[in-house]
Parts: sequence; structure tokens; C-alpha cells
Amino acid sequence: MRLPGTDRDRPPPGPFRRAFWRSPLRGPWLTSVLGLVLLVAIVLVAVTGLLSNDAYNPRLGDNSVGRHLGVLDFYLFPWPTHPAWLYAATQGTHVGLGLATVPILLAKLWSVIPRLFEWPPLRSPAHALERASLALLVGGALFEFITGILDIQLWYPFGFFFTDAHYYGAWVFMAAFTVHVALKFGTMRRSLVARRGLAPLRESLAATRPEPPVPVASDLIPVSPAAPSMSRRALLGTVGAGSLLLLVQGASQAIGGPLRELAFLAPRGRSGSGPNGFQITRTAAAARIAAGDVDSSWTVTLEHAHRTIDLTREQLLRMPQHTYELPISCVEGWSTTQRWTGVRVRELAALVGGTGPLTLDNQSLDQNGPFGSASLASNQIADERTLLALKVNGADLSLDHGYPARVIGPGLPGVHCTKWISAMTFRPAENR
Amino acid sequence: MSAARSAAAAIRRRYGAGPLHLLALLASFALAGAAVVRWFDSGSDVIKVLAWFAGAIIAHDLVLLPLYSLIERIAFGAPMPGPAPERAPARVYVRVPALLSGLLLIVFLPDIAQLGSTTFHAASGLHQNGYLVRWLAASGTLFALSGLAYVLTRRGAGRQRTRASRRQSPPER
Repeated sequence: MRLPGTDRDRPPPGPFRRAFWRSPLRGPWLTSVLGLVLLVAIVLVAVTGLLSNDAYNPRLGDNSVGRHLGVLDFYLFPWPTHPAWLYAATQGTHVGLGLATVPILLAKLWSVIPRLFEWPPLRSPAHALERASLALLVGGALFEFITGILDIQLWYPFGFFFTDAHYYGAWVFMAAFTVHVALKFGTMRRSLVARRGLAPLRESLAATRPEPPVPVASDLIPVSPAAPSMSRRALLGTVGAGSLLLLVQGASQAIGGPLRELAFLAPRGRSGSGPNGFQITRTAAAARIAAGDVDSSWTVTLEHAHRTIDLTREQLLRMPQHTYELPISCVEGWSTTQRWTGVRVRELAALVGGTGPLTLDNQSLDQNGPFGSASLASNQIADERTLLALKVNGADLSLDHGYPARVIGPGLPGVHCTKWISAMTFRPAENR
Repeated sequence: MSAARSAAAAIRRRYGAGPLHLLALLASFALAGAAVVRWFDSGSDVIKVLAWFAGAIIAHDLVLLPLYSLIERIAFGAPMPGPAPERAPARVYVRVPALLSGLLLIVFLPDIAQLGSTTFHAASGLHQNGYLVRWLAASGTLFALSGLAYVLTRRGAGRQRTRASRRQSPPER
């Protein structure tokens, strides 16, 4: 197969000619090392990402935020409540490891950029299909990382709905990623074995040479290399330093405590003071909570099977109070663990005659955003640590943290810890 | 040759690779296609998504990477052929902190440049001020550490040279 006007042996000037690419470090070994690290990292990031979708229990109520579930959601299972920090861990890994993967991805793309300009551009139908797949791979990777990075900094210039885009974009990326690994795994293994694993890391700068064309020939090896200015271990060390810097940003926001301030560039790397000084997911101002909605006239409406009870905050405070240390874990990858005091949700269910497995639809005074209502599953309601919290760290909830009452529970994503509760509707859990 | 093997050989001739290659790629495209169909069923703006998809590839491959090479070339001159040097040239001690600083900048650009400050404030109650200063401080630290490393390697090499020359020609007494 030959395109008209392309001569196999006379590539156009510039990057289409192999002599254009001068770095002596490029070669199959370097690309294979970066590829192997990416393989592990991206699998972990992808799996924790899918787990995040599962943690939202999207089959319940409005939890799917308008997304219609389909065949790609085959893996959903009831999200457990043990351990309480489960979502904090999976989502902290997703974001922290995802950030740490950025420099490795950039280095890998740098190492294979000559292939973007390979000549002739389409050698065969197989070659054309592979290049199409690579377009999905590179585009998908950049799309996922860029949308994710913008989301955790709360900037949405793209104008499409983040949740759907990041989820379906991930499937496009993973489809291309899987076939890429399948096609290239042999090459990667051969390239690493040919140089005896990580042996090139022992080479000093003076000993750094372009990779030999035997036993693994490759068009990545430069034909007219410049003198090296860095050894391969220096290059990989720089990439590693970049990963570490970014990992610290992500992980410190997730682990919190004394480490939080290490996340000096991340949005939730700072703490305020006092019992309500911890990180906020959504302010009362953004939720348009009016003072008149949360004064002494406020009640929470409990409902089950046509039975309704309205409770004031005083009545809630007179019920048995329980205190648990629980994290709020946000999808943006940060968490904060605080001491919450309130009434057990399962006792509220019992008040309206709710027995047996139940689901709960929570309604908030915040009807301004996508999480004005959220649903909890039966295992979450039955857990004794799932509370309608009235106080945090011994003090009343601040308005930004959901005064007069908010839901909190083990393993819940942050947005399912509904703030400014107005109604709680219990239903019998459907058998699935 | 059996029928299956001659079919496989025919595919290899016409297609350019084995039948498994074709199957794997078609399966991959089918999965991606299923995702895309569900995606745009939920009402997302197709044009905007495609624009960001393509824009990301173009911005990275055809803008960011060439820009990095151009900056290197302007700052340090074209790369020359030759043997591997004993010590890393000075430009490496500029390149490494510059790359790390640039990495922090592009990843945290929204925080640093205070983009999306309204959504940021609505979500967290905080403001995005202060991130620019933190990034500058981090970059300064990276460059300082690199400069220190440069001085230490040069001094260490200098001492090695004086020791070697003293051994060769002991001082007169």
C-alpha cells in the first residue's frame, strides 16, 4: 500500500528524517522502562477510578447524576463500609498516583515522538489501524489527565459535564491502552532483557552511549546522535523527582494531619483553625442557603411508607448521641478525618417504622447543585457509624459544614454526606 | 496448507499483520465506540469533546514538545555530536530544575494563575491567592539546590585535579 507522492526512501525534510532526532538517550530500552512503570501505574489509576464510580452506588436513586448506566457498568457491587477510610484510600490513590504519573507519561511521549513523524506514514492497513489506535491512546491519555487535573483544581473551561466525560473518556483510553499493551508487551520484554533489565542505570555519563541496534533494532535509536549531556539514570532520576513532587501534593491532601501542609500547591493543602476549620467541599453561599432556612424553625422530615415525622434540632439533640471519627473523602482525592457527633441513621429509620433492609434518599436545602439529593444503601444505613451529625469536634456544625445537620458515614464519598438536610425518605431495599 | 493457515497467510499479505492483530484492534475500537455512543447519549457536547481530544494531542505533540526543544536550542545552542563528557555540562543544572519547575507550573496552572477562582471559592471557601508565591518559592529552591549541586561537583572535580597534579609533581622544598 502506498500513498501517491510518498517515496519510501525520500522522507520530506525535518522531523520526518531520522537524522533530525539528536538525543542519544532515545531507544527501545528507555521507552520500555517508562512503559513498564506506566503499565503498573495506569492499571492502578484505572482500577481506582472504576472503584470510585462504584463507591457512588450509581444504581441508587439519583446517585448516577443523570448518567444512564449501561453495559460498561458491569462491575458494580455494593460499596462496603469497612474500613471507614476505604474511599479515602482508593480515591487518594487515584488522584495522588495519577498526578505522579504525569511526568512519566510526558517522558514516554518524548521518547517516542519520532514515531509521530515516521515515514512512510501508512505502510499497510495494519499500520493504519495501529496509528488510529495510537491516536486514541495518546488523545485519551491526555484527555483523561487534563480533565482530571482541571477538576481537582475546580476549573472547568471545557464546558462539557466532567463526570460523564472523565468516565467514558477513561473507557476509550483503556480500550486503546489494552490493545497497546497487548501489541507491545513482547517488544518491551525483549528490549529490557536485551540490556539485562535495569543494568543501564549503572552507567555514568562518561559511559553513556546510544542504544545498540542489536539485538533489538528500532527506529527510535538516533542515526546521528549528539553527545549526551545526561546519563539515562539522570534522566530517569529527574522524571522520578517530578513524580515524587506531585505524589506528595496528592497524597498529603489525602492523608492529612501533619502532612497536609506538604501539599503546598494543591487546593486542600491548607487548614483553618478551630473545630470547624477543616476543608470544605461546598460553601453555604454556593448552595444558596438562606439564614431563614436554618434557624430554629428548621425541621428534618423523616418518611417511611406514608408515615412522616418532623424533628427539630432540639429533638434530635435529645435523642441518644454517638460520636465517631470518620473521614470526609472527596472525589478530588483529598480527605479529612474529624470527630462527628449525632444520631444513628438506623435509629431515625426505626422512628418511622423502617425495619429490614432499607435504602435512604436524603434531600438537602441545597437545590443548586448536582448533589441536592443522595441515596444510601442498606449496608450503609445498617452501619452504626452512619450518623445524622449535629456537632463536629465537640462544637456545633458551622454553616459551611452543613448546619443544622448533615449525614456522615464510613466509606461514603464526600458528596453523599449530605449537608443542610431537609428530608430523609426510607424505602425497602429492592432485591437485585 | 490447511484452509485456516492459507486464510491467515492471505490476511497477512493484504492486511500487513496477523489475524490476531486485526481482531485485537477491532475489539479495541468496538469498546471505544461503545463508550463514545453511551457518552453522547447522555447529552455531552460532541464538538467540544472532540475539540479537547484533538487539541490535547496537537498542543502536546506539536506545541509543547517543539517549544521545549526550541528553548533548549536558544538557551544552550544546537546539540553537537561527540564523545560522552566526564561531567555533566552546566546546562544540565539549569535544565533539570527548569523542567521540574515547569512541570509544577503546568500541572497546577489553575491554582497558580487563579483560573476558575469562582468555582474554587464556591467549593472550598478559600481563595487561590498565594499559590503563585508558593510555586516561585519552590522553583527558587529547586534552582538553588541545583546550583549547590553544580558547585559541589565542580569543587570535588577541582580537588581531584589538584591532587592528581600534586602526585605527579611533588612541591619543591
